[in-house]
Amino acid sequence: MDKTKKQAEKLFGLSAEEYEKISELLGREPDSFELGIFSAMWSEHCSYKSSKVYLKTLPTEGGKVLIGPGENAGVVDFGDGDVLVFKMESHNHPSFIEPFQGSATGVGGIMRDIFTMGARPVANLNSLRFGSFSHPRTPYYLSEVVKGIGFYGNCMGVPTVGGEVVFDECYNDNILVNAFTIGIAKKDGIFLSSKCEVGNIVVYVGSATGMDGIHGATMASEEFDLKKNKKRSTVQVGDPFTEKLLLEACLEAMEKKLIVSIQDMGAAGLTSSSFEMADKSGKGMLIDLDAIPLRTAGMAPVEMMLSESQERMLIACEKEKFAELKAVFDKWGLNCVKAGEVIKEKVIKFYYKSKIYKTLDVDVIVNGPEYKRPLKKPQYLNKIKSVKINNYKIPENLNALAVKIITHPNIASKRAVFTQYDYSIGTATIVPPGFSAAVLRANVNSCKGFLLNAGGNSRYTYLDPFTGGALAVTECARNITACGGYPAAITDCLNFASPEDPEVMWQFAYAVEGIKSAAVKLNTPVISGNVSFYNETAKKDGDKTYVSKIYPTPVIGMLGFIDDAGSAVTPFFKDEGDEIYLLGSLKGSLGGSLYMELAYGDFRQKPAGLDLDYEVRLQNCLRSLINKGFLKSAADISEGGIFTALAESAVTNPEKILGFNVNCDIKALGLRIDEFLFSEFEQAFIITMVQKPDGRRKSETAAILKKYGIKSEKIGVVEKGAMKINGIINLKSGKIKEGYYSAV
Amino acid sequence: MDNKKIKAGITVFPGSNCDADVYRVLNSVFGVNASFIWHKDEIKDLKKYDFIVIPGGFSYGDYLRSGALAARSPVMQSVKDYAAKGGIALGICNGFQILLEAGLLDGVMLANRSLKFECKDVYLKTLNTETPFTCAVKKGAVLKMPIAHHDGNYFATESLISGLGRKKSVIFKYCDEKGGITAGSNPNGSILNIAGISNAAGNVMGLMPHPERSSEKILGSEDGGWIFKSIIKYIKEK
Repeated sequence: MDKTKKQAEKLFGLSAEEYEKISELLGREPDSFELGIFSAMWSEHCSYKSSKVYLKTLPTEGGKVLIGPGENAGVVDFGDGDVLVFKMESHNHPSFIEPFQGSATGVGGIMRDIFTMGARPVANLNSLRFGSFSHPRTPYYLSEVVKGIGFYGNCMGVPTVGGEVVFDECYNDNILVNAFTIGIAKKDGIFLSSKCEVGNIVVYVGSATGMDGIHGATMASEEFDLKKNKKRSTVQVGDPFTEKLLLEACLEAMEKKLIVSIQDMGAAGLTSSSFEMADKSGKGMLIDLDAIPLRTAGMAPVEMMLSESQERMLIACEKEKFAELKAVFDKWGLNCVKAGEVIKEKVIKFYYKSKIYKTLDVDVIVNGPEYKRPLKKPQYLNKIKSVKINNYKIPENLNALAVKIITHPNIASKRAVFTQYDYSIGTATIVPPGFSAAVLRANVNSCKGFLLNAGGNSRYTYLDPFTGGALAVTECARNITACGGYPAAITDCLNFASPEDPEVMWQFAYAVEGIKSAAVKLNTPVISGNVSFYNETAKKDGDKTYVSKIYPTPVIGMLGFIDDAGSAVTPFFKDEGDEIYLLGSLKGSLGGSLYMELAYGDFRQKPAGLDLDYEVRLQNCLRSLINKGFLKSAADISEGGIFTALAESAVTNPEKILGFNVNCDIKALGLRIDEFLFSEFEQAFIITMVQKPDGRRKSETAAILKKYGIKSEKIGVVEKGAMKINGIINLKSGKIKEGYYSAV
Repeated sequence: MDNKKIKAGITVFPGSNCDADVYRVLNSVFGVNASFIWHKDEIKDLKKYDFIVIPGGFSYGDYLRSGALAARSPVMQSVKDYAAKGGIALGICNGFQILLEAGLLDGVMLANRSLKFECKDVYLKTLNTETPFTCAVKKGAVLKMPIAHHDGNYFATESLISGLGRKKSVIFKYCDEKGGITAGSNPNGSILNIAGISNAAGNVMGLMPHPERSSEKILGSEDGGWIFKSIIKYIKEK
C-alpha cells in the first residue's frame, strides 16, 4: 500500500489525504487506471479545488451576459441576433518547459474552447510575462513563445490583435503565457456540453490520440523542481492545420444541426471531456477504448484517457445523424468514429478489448475536494511603506531618466512582437495592436464594433493585492473607454505561486476581492477564466536551495462595445496646435513606479489606493466627451507616468513626428517635478482638443465636466519635433521615436 | 454591364484562410457575384467564371513548401487549363506561392530575410498599368496594402528576371511612401523589391500583399480596391 500511495503522490500529484479519500469513496484502494483519472480530475488545474471558494464570490451576471462561467466559455449579447463568446486561459507550465509548443497549444486550446460553443473565432489576444529583459534566457523564451503564438494563430486565420508583454525578474523561473480568444456566433446557434440525451452516440473527432501531454493537467498543478526537463513529454504538440480543418468541420456540422452536445479535449483530454459532458448533462456514458484512433499502437487505457493530444473533440449526436456527421468530417479529412453511447445511469463504463474494463461513478470523479486553505498576511507587506519623498533627492539629469523610461522594455513599443502575428486577416481590425485597445467591427456590412484589451500589473498586486486586482480591471476599462467604448464583461487568468503557501493564498484572496470590487462598480461581470497556481520553481544557489515565486499576477481580458468602430478615438496626437488637457486629478504616487526603480533602485513602496467611485465618474465623463466628438486623442496615464503618456501620444502617430510643449503649475498641485512626471498610479487621462474651440463646444464641455464632477486643465499644446515640459524636460521627438520603436 | 453579372470563383483548399475575406469584399464591397470552388470539386471547365482568385492562407498547412501541395490538387489543373485559354487568375499571398509552385508564374518564394512572419502595411509602386489587374490604376501610382507572410522573399534567376522585364511582367515593387524603390522599403528581401508579377500573356498575376484587406476606407486604405476595380473594368470592356 505504501508503495502505491507514494506513487500516487510522486506520479499523480495526489496528496496522502486525497488518496485516503479516494479509497474511502471506492471502498478499496484505487488501481492505476482509477488513480490516473482521479489525479487528472482532482488536479488543481481541472478541479479549482483551492480557488473555487473565492471564484464563487465574483459577479457573473447582469448587463449583456447570456452565459457565465461553467461552460467552455462565456457568452455576451452583441445585438441583432449575434453573440460574442470569449475566454482567457493560461498555458504557463508547458510554455516554460517547451516555449514554442507550449504557447502554440495554448492558443490552439483556447480557440477550441470558443468554436466548441459554435462560435467562429475572430480575434486572439495574449498576455506574456518573461524574466528580466537582460536575463540570458529571456531572448530564447521571448522569440520561441512569440513564434509559437504566431505559428498557431496565423495558420488558423484568426488575427492576433493585442495583448501585453512584460519583463520582470520575478518571472525568470516561471514565464506566463495567457491566451485569449473571442468568437462570434448566432444567438440561437450556441452549443453546450450539457445537452447529451440518452441514446445519443458518443463520437470522437479530430486527430488520433498519442503519447503527448500525458499528465499535463497534473504537471500544471505542481511547482517545478530541479529536473524540469524531465517533464518535456507532458507538453502537447500542436498542429494548427488540423485544427483549422476541425474548426471548419465542426462549424459545418453545427450549421447542419448534426451535433447535440460537444466538448473539446483540452486538459486531461478524454477524461475531462467524457466525465464533464456526462456530469453536466446528468447522464452517463459507455466509452469504447478500442475505438479510439491511436498514433501509437498498444497505448494502455490510462494513457488513452490522459493523453492531451491536441485537435480532438467529443461529440454527442443522434443515432440517425451519424452518417451525415461522418460525411462532414470525411470531407475535411478528419477522424470521426463512434466511441460510445450516452446512458441513463450516471456512470462511465469503459470497454477495452471488447470487455467491460472499468465502471466509474461520475459524481465521485467530478465532485473533487474543495479546500479553504489557510491564509496569512505576507510578512513582506509589513515593510511596504509610503514613499517619503523628501528622503530622495531629485536626480540631476531628468532628461536622461525620461529617455531611460520611454525606452525601457516594459514601456517601449512591442512592434517587433506583434508584427509577427497576422493582425489584419478577417478585414475587421480597425485599430491594430500597439494602441490602447484593439477595435474591431462586426462585419463588412456593419460598423457596429467591439473592443478588446488584456493586462494586469503584478508589481502593484505584489505591493497591494486588493488594489492590484482592482487595477487590472480598471486599467482594461480605461483603455476601452479611451477609445470611446463601453466596458461590457471580463474574463480572468489568475496566475499565482503555490496555494499551499498561506501567504500566496492571502494574495489570491485579496486580489480576487479587488477584481470583484472593480467588476461590480464598472458593471463588467466575470464570464469565464482560469486559475494557474504553482508558478514557482525550486532553485539552487551553491549549497542553498530556495523557491523562486512569481508575483501575484491577475490578468484581465475585457470586452467593450462601440456603436461605430470607425469613430473610435486613438491615443496618439493628431495635429500641431491641438490643445492638451489633463482630465482628472494627479495624486503624485511614486510607490511601485518604474521611476523609483530606475532612479533609486527600489520600487517596493506603497502605491496610492484606487477610488472606484471616482473611476466610474471619470470614465463616464471621458466617454461623454468622446461621444460628443470633442476629442482628437485620449490616453490613460499608467506605467511611466504623465511623461510617458505624453511621449507615447507624440511618437505613436503613424504618419508624423510630433512633440508637445507642456507647462503646468505643479506647485499648485502640491507635487514635486518627479512626482508630476513619473507618478503612474493615477486616475487621469491625457486628452487633446482642437485649437480655440468655439463657445458652444466650450460650454458643452464644461457642462459634461460639471455633471460628473471631474476637473480638466489645459496643460499644453501639440508641437512639432520636440518634447518640452516646464522647461525641464527637453527632448527631440525623432530620437525618442527611434528609441521607442527599437528597444524591444 | 452590372457588376452582379460578373462571376468570380474563389478556390478553397484545406487550410485556405483568406477565402472568406475575398468573398466578402468581392460580394459586399464590389457587388460581384463571387462563389467558392472546393479543391476536390471536379470542375473540368472553369469558363463560367469571369475570373478566378486563389486566396491566401496555409493550404495543406504549408507543409513540404508553401503552396507546393495545393499546386498539385485537381482544381489547379483546371486553373491551368483556364489560364491557358486566357482566363484571368489572381493569386494573393499563399495564392501567389501556389501559382509559382504550379508553374503558372516564374520564380520561387524563399523565407523572409528576417526568418520571421511579417505583418505590416507596405507601399507598392505599380510598374505596369496595362494589365487586367492594374488597368484602372494611375500610372506609377503608389498603393498602400498590408502584407502578412513568412515566405514572401521572391527570388528568380537573372535570365528569368530579364524575361520578366522584357514582357513587362513585373507589376508591383515594394517602395517607400513616395514611390522610391529603396532597400529600406523592402519588407522581406525580395529580389529587386518585387512584390507582384504576371505571366507573359498578362492574364495571371500573383502578389504577396493583400488587396482584400485594403479595399475599404475604415480599414485604413482603399488602395487594394484598385486591383479589383481594374479586373471589373477589364471584364466590362472586353
